[in-house]
Amino acid sequence: MMADTYSSLPNWKYFLRRYGVLTGLGLVVLMTTLYFYFRDPQITEAVLASTVRYSTPLVLGALCGLLGERAGVINIGIEGQMLMSAFVGFLVTAWTKSLWLGVVGGVLTGALMGLLLAFMSVTLKLDQIIGGTVINIIAIGLTGYFYQVGLAIDGKLKPIPLGPLANLPLVGKVFFDNPPITYAAIVLVFVVQYVLFYTKWGLRTRAVGEHPRAADTVGVDVYFMRYANVVLGGAIAGLAGAFLTLEAVGSFERVMTNGRGFIALAVMLFGKYTPLGAWGAALFFGLTSAIQTQVQFAGVDIPHQFIGMIPYVMTILVLAGFVGRTRVPAADGAPYEKE
Amino acid sequence: MSKKLFFLLSLVVLTAMLLASCGGGGEADCAQDDVFCVGLVTDVGEVDDKSFNQSAWEGVQQAEKDLGAVVNYVETKDAKDYAANIALFADKKYDVIVTVGFLMADATIEAAGKNPNIQFIGVDQWNDGSVANVTGLLFPEDKAGFLAGALAAMMSKTGTVAAVLGTDLVPPVVAFKEGYEAGAKYINPGINLISTYHPGGADVAFTDPEWGATTAKQAIDNGADVVFGAGGKTGNGAIIEVASHAGLLCIGVDSDQWETVPEAHPCLISSAMKLITPGVFDLVKLAKEGSKPAGLYFGATGLASFHDFESKVPQEVKDKLAEIDAGLQDGSVSTGYAP
Repeated sequence: MMADTYSSLPNWKYFLRRYGVLTGLGLVVLMTTLYFYFRDPQITEAVLASTVRYSTPLVLGALCGLLGERAGVINIGIEGQMLMSAFVGFLVTAWTKSLWLGVVGGVLTGALMGLLLAFMSVTLKLDQIIGGTVINIIAIGLTGYFYQVGLAIDGKLKPIPLGPLANLPLVGKVFFDNPPITYAAIVLVFVVQYVLFYTKWGLRTRAVGEHPRAADTVGVDVYFMRYANVVLGGAIAGLAGAFLTLEAVGSFERVMTNGRGFIALAVMLFGKYTPLGAWGAALFFGLTSAIQTQVQFAGVDIPHQFIGMIPYVMTILVLAGFVGRTRVPAADGAPYEKE
Repeated sequence: MSKKLFFLLSLVVLTAMLLASCGGGGEADCAQDDVFCVGLVTDVGEVDDKSFNQSAWEGVQQAEKDLGAVVNYVETKDAKDYAANIALFADKKYDVIVTVGFLMADATIEAAGKNPNIQFIGVDQWNDGSVANVTGLLFPEDKAGFLAGALAAMMSKTGTVAAVLGTDLVPPVVAFKEGYEAGAKYINPGINLISTYHPGGADVAFTDPEWGATTAKQAIDNGADVVFGAGGKTGNGAIIEVASHAGLLCIGVDSDQWETVPEAHPCLISSAMKLITPGVFDLVKLAKEGSKPAGLYFGATGLASFHDFESKVPQEVKDKLAEIDAGLQDGSVSTGYAP
């Protein structure tokens, strides 16, 4: 392993080798942000708040994807899971007049869609790409057919300022004055990171994704771990769906996910299958979206499509291995056959 | 066991696909002389999109009621299907085919050339008049936008007004934007105008309410207190977002969105309307009478009623708007927009 070759170095050198690029990048981002903040605090806050908001469905989708893939199940049905949950969350709220029940409905729907994917890919051992496609098609068909015009919900989830934290300059407005699902997304990033890399559950999850046979021989229930992670991922995708209808838009429209489930996959790859990485990538995608809008606001005459393109070019670079290597879990996409 | 389940699953998927492709129903023999059939082909979007396609469809429905026409519609799911969808009606010998949207202009003219006995009406479609059975129904969107901009500038307290728009690939959207900006500057030359187009292609630019909402929020964070949402569901997302912020105003587009987007009632002061419904109906009626003009036909535009804001809009604002409207009609006020 790479890390082992560094362990003979003194601590600070080890740190610099391993996290140097990340630290440098972080410093650059920090300096740039501060520079713009002192030039124009209002616009900087507007752009950053927008960044966080754009990133929320992406990071939730990416968490869904990486839970599945870490356990060895490719999930390209995130889009469908989000769309279906967005729809059911909307319906539940329209019927019960309760936004919270709507969120619960969305999350349960996502989990159910996850269960379907797990069933197809773990029990039926169906090709997982096809399984995901099935979910996307089902979601577009069912939501398109059952959507009734005229259904409306009253308002949407409102921002909850976190007491004095929300009054801090810069970070207050950006991180501590958000609606509930945005908070949940940020908390989930850290929770999933912790669970995946610092708990027995996470170790087992990664084991069945890397070498299911070995995990099986030491008594890990491969099928159960795969089912559980895909269903949990589905629930998170469900939260992303609920975000779309109940927090961001306040209404449902057909095919309103508009490819966010697929961008989430790019975000997951960009983040190298780690929750923190995915969060960073999602924020980066969000930032370019926000800057693109702000550039147009300012009337700067450069083609806005150009800025919109940047994250995708970066994703290709990451995948091509220019910015460090992304390692796909070894048993990703391979059904496990018990002997 | 698993084979049976797989079969069941495929059944579900097939049903979902069928549901997705279902359009309107009803059969009649349109080849007969005494049966007057009107078919409508939507742009990518649905007949219940609460703005553009819906208005056109209502014009056709009025023809059903007032002229006894047999009416039907096809929703375009993909821009590649324009010609195929038009052919659905042409093959059944419909008498009039209405195609909705700028992007369908070429497909419409081509189909008209092939079917000289069928009258075509192209909403928002420019043509050079060389094909006798095509009429392009156009609207001076810049004038409606101009009134909306003037209204926004007069109602704004912060001196910043915003526009969240579909894509600049579609000329009517550009006309709305240019008119809006000219109108706002006509009232207040120093006004801070922030407007932005959706960065995606024409296939997603009008169906992305989450982008619209997030962008509207960014505009509000930039200090805007009046937001013009012009871009199908994307614009709807923007005005619903504005509605969740107390004391801010929004302006809808295409139809009177007070009727179509009830979620926006807290902020919806008016809508920049294209009177598509009467325009389509008039042309269908002319076609029935055999006197539909070739080339171009101009419909009317204007501001929708203020509804609940009737008492909150000062009388001098109303007078000024009436004065500008008169000026736009007689040519003494120019929007400065040249397509």
